[in-house]
Amino acid sequence: MSITALTKKILHAALFYEIWDAMKVTFRHMLHRPMTFQYPREHRTIPDAHRGALGLLRYDDGRERCVGCDLCEVACPSHCIKVISAEDATRPLQRYASEFYIDITKCVFCGYCVEACPVNALAMTKMYEYSTHDKRSLLFDKKRLYDIGERHLDDGKKYLYAHNQEKNLEESREYRYYFPQSVAKATQTPPKHLS
Amino acid sequence: MGLKPATNPDVEATSIELSIDGKTVTAKDGVSLYDVISMTGKIIPAMCYHYTFDPFGSCGMCLVMQEGKKAPVRSCTAKAAAGMVIRTEGEDLFLARKKAVEKHLSVHPLDCPVCDADGHCELQDMAFQHGVTNLANAKQKFIPEDTRSPVLDFNMNRCIACAECINVCKDVLMIDALQFMKKGGFNQVVPKGDLPLNCEFCGDCLAVCPVGAITNKFSKYLYKPWQMKKTTTTCNYCGDGCQMYLETKDEEVVRVTSPLSWKNKWGDRSDTAKGHGGLCVRGRFGFESLDSQNRLVHPLVRENGRLVEKPWLEAMHGLVDRFVAIKEKYGPDAIAGLVTARCTNEELYLFQKLMRTAFGTNQLDSSARYGHMNFVLASKHAIGLGRASNDWEDLTKAKAIIVIGSNITETNPLTAVRIKEAVRVYRAQVVTFDSAITNMSKLASHPFLIKPGTEGAVIDGLVKAAIDLDVVDEAAVGKHPQAFEALKKAVASLSMEQLTVQTGLSNEVFREIARLFAEAPRSIVLCSEGIVRRTNGYQNVLKLMDLAWITGKLGQPGCGVSTVTEEPNEQGAVDMGTASEFLPGQGRYGDPEVRDRFAKAWDAVLPSSSSGAHLVEILRRCRTGQIKALYILGENPLATLPASMEVRAGLERLELLVVQDPFLTDTAKLAHFVLPACTYAEKDGTFTNFEGRVLRVRQAMDPRGESLPDWHIMTALANAMGCQWDYQSANDIQSEIMKLLPGYYNLGQPRKTAPTLDTYLSKGYTTKVGERYQATPEIHAPTRPFALLMGQLLMHSGKLSVQAPGLITIAPNTAKLRMNARDLEHLGLQEGMKVRLTSDRGSLQIAVQADQSVAPGTCFFPEHFNEPPVKDLMTVTVDPTTGVPSFKQMWVNVEPV
Repeated sequence: MSITALTKKILHAALFYEIWDAMKVTFRHMLHRPMTFQYPREHRTIPDAHRGALGLLRYDDGRERCVGCDLCEVACPSHCIKVISAEDATRPLQRYASEFYIDITKCVFCGYCVEACPVNALAMTKMYEYSTHDKRSLLFDKKRLYDIGERHLDDGKKYLYAHNQEKNLEESREYRYYFPQSVAKATQTPPKHLS
Repeated sequence: MGLKPATNPDVEATSIELSIDGKTVTAKDGVSLYDVISMTGKIIPAMCYHYTFDPFGSCGMCLVMQEGKKAPVRSCTAKAAAGMVIRTEGEDLFLARKKAVEKHLSVHPLDCPVCDADGHCELQDMAFQHGVTNLANAKQKFIPEDTRSPVLDFNMNRCIACAECINVCKDVLMIDALQFMKKGGFNQVVPKGDLPLNCEFCGDCLAVCPVGAITNKFSKYLYKPWQMKKTTTTCNYCGDGCQMYLETKDEEVVRVTSPLSWKNKWGDRSDTAKGHGGLCVRGRFGFESLDSQNRLVHPLVRENGRLVEKPWLEAMHGLVDRFVAIKEKYGPDAIAGLVTARCTNEELYLFQKLMRTAFGTNQLDSSARYGHMNFVLASKHAIGLGRASNDWEDLTKAKAIIVIGSNITETNPLTAVRIKEAVRVYRAQVVTFDSAITNMSKLASHPFLIKPGTEGAVIDGLVKAAIDLDVVDEAAVGKHPQAFEALKKAVASLSMEQLTVQTGLSNEVFREIARLFAEAPRSIVLCSEGIVRRTNGYQNVLKLMDLAWITGKLGQPGCGVSTVTEEPNEQGAVDMGTASEFLPGQGRYGDPEVRDRFAKAWDAVLPSSSSGAHLVEILRRCRTGQIKALYILGENPLATLPASMEVRAGLERLELLVVQDPFLTDTAKLAHFVLPACTYAEKDGTFTNFEGRVLRVRQAMDPRGESLPDWHIMTALANAMGCQWDYQSANDIQSEIMKLLPGYYNLGQPRKTAPTLDTYLSKGYTTKVGERYQATPEIHAPTRPFALLMGQLLMHSGKLSVQAPGLITIAPNTAKLRMNARDLEHLGLQEGMKVRLTSDRGSLQIAVQADQSVAPGTCFFPEHFNEPPVKDLMTVTVDPTTGVPSFKQMWVNVEPV
């Protein structure tokens, strides 16, 4: 060991250099804002495109958007969706989901179901806190999904905008498909090429 | 093929040559160009085309370029001609077809996600194939959905006006219930006259619809086609043995489809002689009995007068103990068994093996005894063939068909479609003799309404007329001159005048029909419930055999005497030996050689041949107390037979009544043990249809609740009784049958057997023939002027179909007596008014309804319903030779109250 090295070592020992060096990081962090969140007291701001729990949305007039077409069920790679559909007895021709289940424990949050939905009834929300002692409560049924959708309606819509699924509210109903409404009588004049 | 079949049994079409895409192709003259192209393996899109009917040419997709023409031509409506040069591919054709798709799509709602046809839609496929993604001038039609029919919904927004539904209804089924109508500016498919649809509801329009314009009410919006499991199986409702696809989702049956669909539009019209692949209302809409809530799901055991649920093990232990005790105390002849012909061949085989080896009794019978046995025994006796002589192809290609005593469009609708094809495509002459105004008689060239119960006299008249006219076949009668002399002598005793009075037909009719039948190159007699389920059924079938023999129609290809069966496996029940007179393979039970073979194969001593008993005898022995234990598998004698048979008294006297059934039937309610059995959707096996074709039944879903397949229960029962059966599946039983009856399965094709008349005509014929041809004077008191007939409805089959809510919606029990409107007027009755119906057996009050299919002087009540118990007014006559109970006709008095 050379003289220089020895001197340096003695000096460091005398001045408690290692401690000052280690404390440097601590003192530096005393001066700027903390990087961590005090979860659950504090929440992170989540981007709109975030894939969280799925919710079912309603139109502004309170009608269910879902038409029970089963397309989310087919699109789902983990087979966590089950839709049972039926005809709405009060509004003939209107198909709706009489039962809708998402097993969120199986969900891989790929968002395919949202992409598959022709009426943008499904949306992913920013909700991710549903830890529970009872695993059975993680099989979301139709009521639970609509509750999530209602509580996180804005998030759901933002998700759809962020993923370029829906452009604005006015167009939401006719965005990709137009479903026949219950018609009482023929109201429309025939198109030119058929008359 | 589209257009008429180019080749039929009488005319061979000439061959022509044409060039398709540079290749020379040989084809039959007169067929559609589209068929010639599809024959080469090329598939051209066509949305309005189906091979079962003539091309319509509305979709504009099947365009091809013909050399010498500027514009593309529609290949479906163009006839192939010699020397044509055709191009089927190319950019110009693709664009022309794309334009056609766009034209259809521009008025088609894009509601695919909610449409039932999504994923099974030709328009969707075409739009995808041709890359139609952007529609400039899409319009909506806004047509309200027609939901007036109980079965089908018509959503004309989706209709592409291909007319497949109209064509299949008009051309193939000859019902013509649909039409085009200009409504709201659009050409729409509407039921005839724009009334609520009221047809046979076969649903073939639904099957061929290439889009979702016609939907099935029972499965509307439930599932998408790809979500369902599709199982090919055989229909369980009648003896036609139609192949169908049972579409299930988990434990529920969602819908039934069949090979007939826009998806298989390519075929040869001559193939349809083997069936067009469709179904009838029962097959297509009667599936709800399979997953019904009324199904039995637990074994039930009677305790203190009530049936209580018990676990299988406990129930079986109790049951076996009782059987063993009865067998020990009273001997094996105290046990008897009845089985339904809705079971599979394997189960029927096992049933008779169980009765004969485990229980050691020959007192067993199946529901073939209700009528089919008459035909089998007569046919076996006469020509050595214990089933119908003809198959569907024979019927389609026949030149003359006598349909006697058969309301075939109601009982066996798909066999009726074969006769319709014979009429429409091959120009057959159809003669109907029936005491009701049947649908077949409306299509027949020679429809005759006869007086009720005179079918036998009609046959007498035909035989007599054939002999009088000397239209006999010299070669056939020349072989057996003695027999023919005896027949002549027997017939000579009949007076034509009396026959004409009796039947209500004129002398000319008999002569015309006898001549027609004798002179046609291929003639068939089709007899069913009006012959085999009525008195003298056995003799009447033999008389029909006489008619076919003297006119030389026995043994000729495409000729013969045939029948149809009501239950799916009546033929199989006879073939499997579930009758006291037969061992499997229709070997005589008394034949020592056959007995030895089976005794050896089963390693058991067969019960003596004298102890056998058929249905009526079994029920009688139950009443006398000779039989102590009755094992009923699927049968329901209490609800089937009239009260005069005293079935209830017999069953109540039993020490042990075991009923094995999917439903808690009337008989099961009396039972000591009720074992839950599976329906045909939950087990494997085979059915033998009336042609003798063995058809596969495949498991579509798991057994409901704790129910088990019948073979499983019987195997457990036999092993508990001390047998060593180790069947693990229906396949094991099948291999045993294959060993014992080589060639029975025959790859699902009917076995062709040449009839042999020689022994029949040379031994004992001369002495027996005399009794057959005796004048049977009508014996009915003038106080009973009406003939009460009981029979089948199109929508129902036995008592099983009443468990299907769909069929009950279409045809509920009206609890009304059906009468001719003229009779109602005559009696001063209005529809719905009550009458008192009196027969020798009793009387009851019942409301009336007018029915145009009921002939004057008769009244009709469907046999499926016992509310009110009209069947109890019937008298039972038991055939002395075959033991068949006949109770479908009775003389009654109808008086207003």
